[in-house]
Amino acid sequence: MGTNGNLERRTILKAAGASLATVGLAATTGCGGNSGAGDGTVTIRYAWWGAEERTKRINQTIALFEKKYPKIKVETDFQDYVAFWEKFQTQAAGGNPPDVFQNSVAFLRKYDKRGVLLDLKSQVDAGNLSMDNFRAGVEKVGEVDGKLLGVPVGSNTMSLVIDEKVFEKAGIKAEQGWTWDEYFAALEKIRNTQKVAGDTGYFGIMYLYDLYLRQNGKAFFTEDGLGFTEADLTEWWTDGYNRVKAGIITDPKKVEQLKPKSSLAAGEGASEFTWDNFTVRYTTEGDSTYGLAPIPTTDGKQTGQYLSSLMLSASSRTKHPKEVAQFIDFMVHDPEVGKIMGYDRGILATTEQFEAYQPTDAPQKAIAQYEKDVAEAGVLGPITPHPSGADTVEAAFLRIAGDVGLGKSKVSDAVKQFFSEAETALAA
Amino acid sequence: MGTAVTTLVKDSPPQAPQKRPAAPGDAKRRGRRENLAGYLFMSPWIAGFLLLTAGPMVASLYFAFTDYNLFTAPKWIGFDNFTKMFEDPRWQKSVEVTAKYVVIGTPLKLLLALGVALLLAQSRRGQGFYRAAFYAPSLIGASVSVGFVWRALFSDDAIVDRTQSLFGMDVGGWVGNADWILYCLVALTVWQFGAPMVIFLAGLKQVPRELYEAAEVDGAGPLRRFWSITLPMISPVLFFNVLLETIHSFQIFGSAYVVSNTSCGPADATLVYTCYLYQKGFKEAQMGFASAMAWMLLLAVALVTAVLFWSQKRWVHYEEAAR
Repeated sequence: MGTNGNLERRTILKAAGASLATVGLAATTGCGGNSGAGDGTVTIRYAWWGAEERTKRINQTIALFEKKYPKIKVETDFQDYVAFWEKFQTQAAGGNPPDVFQNSVAFLRKYDKRGVLLDLKSQVDAGNLSMDNFRAGVEKVGEVDGKLLGVPVGSNTMSLVIDEKVFEKAGIKAEQGWTWDEYFAALEKIRNTQKVAGDTGYFGIMYLYDLYLRQNGKAFFTEDGLGFTEADLTEWWTDGYNRVKAGIITDPKKVEQLKPKSSLAAGEGASEFTWDNFTVRYTTEGDSTYGLAPIPTTDGKQTGQYLSSLMLSASSRTKHPKEVAQFIDFMVHDPEVGKIMGYDRGILATTEQFEAYQPTDAPQKAIAQYEKDVAEAGVLGPITPHPSGADTVEAAFLRIAGDVGLGKSKVSDAVKQFFSEAETALAA
Repeated sequence: MGTAVTTLVKDSPPQAPQKRPAAPGDAKRRGRRENLAGYLFMSPWIAGFLLLTAGPMVASLYFAFTDYNLFTAPKWIGFDNFTKMFEDPRWQKSVEVTAKYVVIGTPLKLLLALGVALLLAQSRRGQGFYRAAFYAPSLIGASVSVGFVWRALFSDDAIVDRTQSLFGMDVGGWVGNADWILYCLVALTVWQFGAPMVIFLAGLKQVPRELYEAAEVDGAGPLRRFWSITLPMISPVLFFNVLLETIHSFQIFGSAYVVSNTSCGPADATLVYTCYLYQKGFKEAQMGFASAMAWMLLLAVALVTAVLFWSQKRWVHYEEAAR
């Protein structure tokens, strides 16, 4: 007993001493490569946004990674999209962002400007991260001003999700190259024959308006500002509001009330514009069959589409750039990871993963087919730049368009409000 | 008790400290030491106050006059945040929503609290149970979980919506309806009438019974008795409740944030002042603007409080004054 107690006390003292020493070390060295436990084990923090499903898959991939790199431990954290970026901003401002995190094009310049993102070029040069074997169209998504700020994990593109049963019953076939006039005529036909609104509210989706502008030789954003005029937006929102009143767009009030369920899945609309990798949700939420249709065009050819991508980025503050680079490298190149993740974050970005994963269920197959069709149609262009503040601008666009749809603001006031908020956001 | 005290006194040593003629310097030193001990015991609170309340307040006062995005050093811009505020339609909207909430919610809550207190003031069987039952909501009311419950109750096709539909009022849930959702928050605050109710109850107990008896002899009906006796007699308590609940209402955040699913929508229908402050500060990273908003709220609440204090001369009767 006595010896035991002594031993225990000695162990505790030792442990206390060790932890004190570690704290001291961490405080004094600051940039040592091996802070953490004394045996060279390194802990990196990884954060992402997404639904429960994504988390399950990612946790499996982390287990694989830790098996291959036993000296690297990964701590995880995840939220939904909005909460994630709120938390990230606070952490980054406090100098404590996660070492590696999911990122999207809308945030690259914003956090580059604030010095939060690590330029991964040096890690590529050091051989810790390979930028080979990326599929055409996505390899440059994470590059800004010659810096490598994010490594793509999967490609996605804007698409039109349709309720196939309703479209069929109304006798409408959506074909590559169809025009906006044809699209809106189809919506009218659906309203008249199927007694359901044709679309769930296209005019508040920034990424769709971007496509429309691109079809007309403009874009939503330029390098440092907005790429359209107040007159352009007035036209877009006036048409949108008129279509709501005409009943070919779902009543925005209904859309709000159905949230978080999609109005398309709830049977309150027949089509909805969204990213193609989001389409799995409709099959889960709704009773009909859902398919992917081409984006309507202005000239019968150009859809304005481009490949976007979710990415993995690293913090410029990380104490373990090498380990973080190894982690990213593993996550984007390892075939097993590809098999586990599937198309949850878009069509897998590297050829190793793309070839390793063969979709078996219908929605995933449809996504792969869609991006193949779009690529073959030759409509993919370079991605629109996203200046610092693009995320806030997108949120404002959605919110103010919602006010217009609900009839809570006049279009002229709404446009002024949007331009004023955008100006503030882009200057911040 | 009495015996215990006397024993203690008896047992106390003959040279009790207060009887000893103490040197003045000695007492001073001891007083100082006692002060020091007192401050030492208070030090956790003092440190907390300085670090967590006073410090941040001073910082926020400074930020209010700067352009501060959390990442780069704050830039002094004078009163720009305040002038921008008055031109900002969303800020105006947030003031409007908050004012509506305060003006509708507070009187309703106090009316209900007073009404129930009047009912519970009369002695009846199961009195204790009723009091506890009516007070319970305010115990749990401030929590986030109740916000979630409220959201579930008032959603599309949830219990409130279905019940309403039975009576031909199909609004499709209050939560997603920009015209209704604020009343959902009002209902939530009114439901938590327990705290003012308890204070009213205490006030009602203080009203001397003989006043009612005398009034009854004079032939005053219940309404007259309420109007001429109860209300003036409890007016200090009423004033206290009005003050507290008004200030409290201005600070609404949690329920609006949770019930609207963090959006403070739809169409900014629940964009209460603090919600907009939060969005500006933590979503859009305009900490300077958000700080300016916080100080503006403080000024507004101070102003309302001052007006209430000024008005009490006209309607609050303190017993001392009456006698």
